[in-house]
Amino acid sequence: MTKITRVSLASPPDGGWGWMIVAGCFLVTICTRAVTRCISIFFVEFQTYFAQDYSQTAWIHSIVDCMTMLCAPLGSVVSNQLSCQAGIMLGGLLASTGFILGSFATSLKHLYLSLGVLTGLGFALCYSPAIAMVGKYFSRRKALAYGIAMSGSGIGTFILAPVVQLLIEQFSWRGALLILGGFVLNLCVCGALMRPITLKEDRSVPEKNHNRESQREDCKQASPYSPLTKECTETRLCCSLQQEYGFLLMSDFVVLAVSVLFMAYGCSPLFVYLVPYALSVGVSHHQAAFLMSILGVIDIVGNITFGWLTDRRCLKNYRYVCYLFAVALDGLCYLCLPMLQTFPLLVPFSCTFGYFDGAYVTLIPVVTAEIVGTTSLSSALGVVYFLHAVPYLVSPPIAGWLVDTTGSYTAAFLLCGFAMIFSSILLGFVRIVKRMKRTQVPFPVKDSDPKLQLWTNGSVAYSVARELDQKDEEPLPKARSGCNLT
Amino acid sequence: MRSHTGLRALVAPGYPLLLLCLLAATRPDPAEGDPTDPTFTSLPVREEMMAKYSNLSLKSCNISVTEKSNVSVEENVILEKPSHVELKCVYTATKDLNLMNVTWKKDDEPLETTGDFNTTKMGNTLTSQYRFIVFNSKQLGKYSCVFGEKELRGTFNIHVPKAHGKKKSLIAYVGDSTVLKCVCQDCLPLNWTWYMGNETAQVPIDAHSNEKYIINGSHANETRLKIKHLLEEDGGSYWCRATFQLGESEEQNELVVLSFLVPLKPFLAILAEVILLVAIILLCEVYTHKKKNDPDAGKEFEQIEQLKSDDSNGIENNVPRYRKTDSADQ
Repeated sequence: MTKITRVSLASPPDGGWGWMIVAGCFLVTICTRAVTRCISIFFVEFQTYFAQDYSQTAWIHSIVDCMTMLCAPLGSVVSNQLSCQAGIMLGGLLASTGFILGSFATSLKHLYLSLGVLTGLGFALCYSPAIAMVGKYFSRRKALAYGIAMSGSGIGTFILAPVVQLLIEQFSWRGALLILGGFVLNLCVCGALMRPITLKEDRSVPEKNHNRESQREDCKQASPYSPLTKECTETRLCCSLQQEYGFLLMSDFVVLAVSVLFMAYGCSPLFVYLVPYALSVGVSHHQAAFLMSILGVIDIVGNITFGWLTDRRCLKNYRYVCYLFAVALDGLCYLCLPMLQTFPLLVPFSCTFGYFDGAYVTLIPVVTAEIVGTTSLSSALGVVYFLHAVPYLVSPPIAGWLVDTTGSYTAAFLLCGFAMIFSSILLGFVRIVKRMKRTQVPFPVKDSDPKLQLWTNGSVAYSVARELDQKDEEPLPKARSGCNLT
Repeated sequence: MRSHTGLRALVAPGYPLLLLCLLAATRPDPAEGDPTDPTFTSLPVREEMMAKYSNLSLKSCNISVTEKSNVSVEENVILEKPSHVELKCVYTATKDLNLMNVTWKKDDEPLETTGDFNTTKMGNTLTSQYRFIVFNSKQLGKYSCVFGEKELRGTFNIHVPKAHGKKKSLIAYVGDSTVLKCVCQDCLPLNWTWYMGNETAQVPIDAHSNEKYIINGSHANETRLKIKHLLEEDGGSYWCRATFQLGESEEQNELVVLSFLVPLKPFLAILAEVILLVAIILLCEVYTHKKKNDPDAGKEFEQIEQLKSDDSNGIENNVPRYRKTDSADQ
């Protein structure tokens, strides 16, 4: 009886209220990523009012983007400790407060702190928890759900840009910031929609005793290894954090983290330099702007259609491969770009790059969920988006430096292309190596058969098999996996 | 200093010209005090003027007119300071040029002024060139060369550079400060002046006596007027006037001063919408939670039945593995 109840409780609903979660996450993506993009519309107004040059005002956008990504792990911690609802509502209030204070700004530094730091922090509390919540409600249709949720970034930018321009003309930048602050309060509505899964709550009740015992054992085991643990006054908090962030030591996640660094380095410069590159090869201003529009629209199409495609039965088991494929194709697009010197050639490039850019953005949460499991998805996503921050900050200046020193865009684009291809090859290579190891050692597989038979859920069995592989690699994880099994 | 020099230059050739006119017995009505009017010219006078203005810059402009075109061609000639101006019209005909003649006009009036006309015919092309010196604002305007009976014409619009301000109204708030800006691209006005009011009455803004206003860049190619401690009465039209040696150029800026209540209304509307939605969602959640809690005894069986149905689904999904378990036990 207990085994049967575990099976039913562990499976995500794959629908029902889950679609409200998707709608909430869609709105969160609009209020965070799309609003961040639209902040650049204010730059001309800030330059005139504060009599500053472009680089000074551009810092505001960089600070918002960097804070959102850097504080993503904080968002995960807050949503795990409080609840997803409370965390996102708090983030919405912080972001709105940042906009409201920004509307009263008297200097650029004032805007750096209010609109940059405070709003970025609020966005961080909303973004990764909302995405993690989608992963908890969907299993079979996970990629489609993420595609719809992540498309809010592109669709939101498309709708909000003219609206923000109109607000600036009607109310000046102060009034526009105030009204945007009100709009961002809709994050509180999205937070209210994030209903925790009832099944998991039921599951947690009978397992309280088990959790306590496992926590005590973890404390005992951890103390002889690290003196820092002894100095911890809040042993329970430390133990729970160790459990939550145990995935950081998984080899699969470490490889994913490294590949995310290279992928994030490669993907951002194109959105900064596509228009300057098009102008440098003789494309007109209107056509260059049209290329950016194509990129944005096809990005949305890629979000949704690729998610739908990878949910098909024939492709469902190969989502990981589809992710590698999408990243590799974007890298190849970069390598081909220096050869495309006319507008008719740049149009299919924009379509291809935009489609697969939207595709792998959709699959990042799916791949992360496959590697770390649903329970740690929130924290893992926080770390993944945290890893985006530094490449996002560093990559466009490096590309700009390469353009200035070499006098052409070739070196910058080739470097980005190789970074993305390396990201894809790294993940593929590690996956192949693991498969070879499994085939080489048939005996441990036979040993694992009895244990596999005990677990009837596919995802749980997969995680158990992975832990068994870790047993062969390292002696230390044996104790941890043993505790998890109990 | 330059203007004084110009005035002296204006006065200097007057007397020799008058003397020459008096000496000429054949002219009964010599012009008095206006050296530019008489069409009589002589080499000494021209040479004197050329010597006076030899350091001026030269501005050339060409217009081509063809017999087939029915639309007049217009060209802008922008001058900041006194200059030599050379206007050239080229007329191309498909037939003979024998009966073709060319006339020069200023603001649609026949041109009667000192200057150098030069008309040449070569093949099917008739070229007419007009060279003169622009040294005061009266000479600004539209100069046209008119060809033949059809009156095909090319027009040169000679004017000072235009100042550019913000095309749309500038929005600011009570208690705030704002910056009005005017730019003159590729030119350097002698002076900038700001006025407020409408077109009938313009009141100069004195930044020295009124601390409310700060003017930056009175002698640069752009100027900024900063207005502090705005009131709603400060809204209206503001004019910036750029002064050049040859004239002035004006541009209008519109300022709208709003109370902070204006954007506060949509903000409060959105806030009310957010609060309403959050309240509805939380109430729905509490209501569904109560439904689960109220019938404790009765619905426990129903919940068990639901779990059983879920169990059956689970069993169906995992039947093969369960059989394997049985085989393992055996």
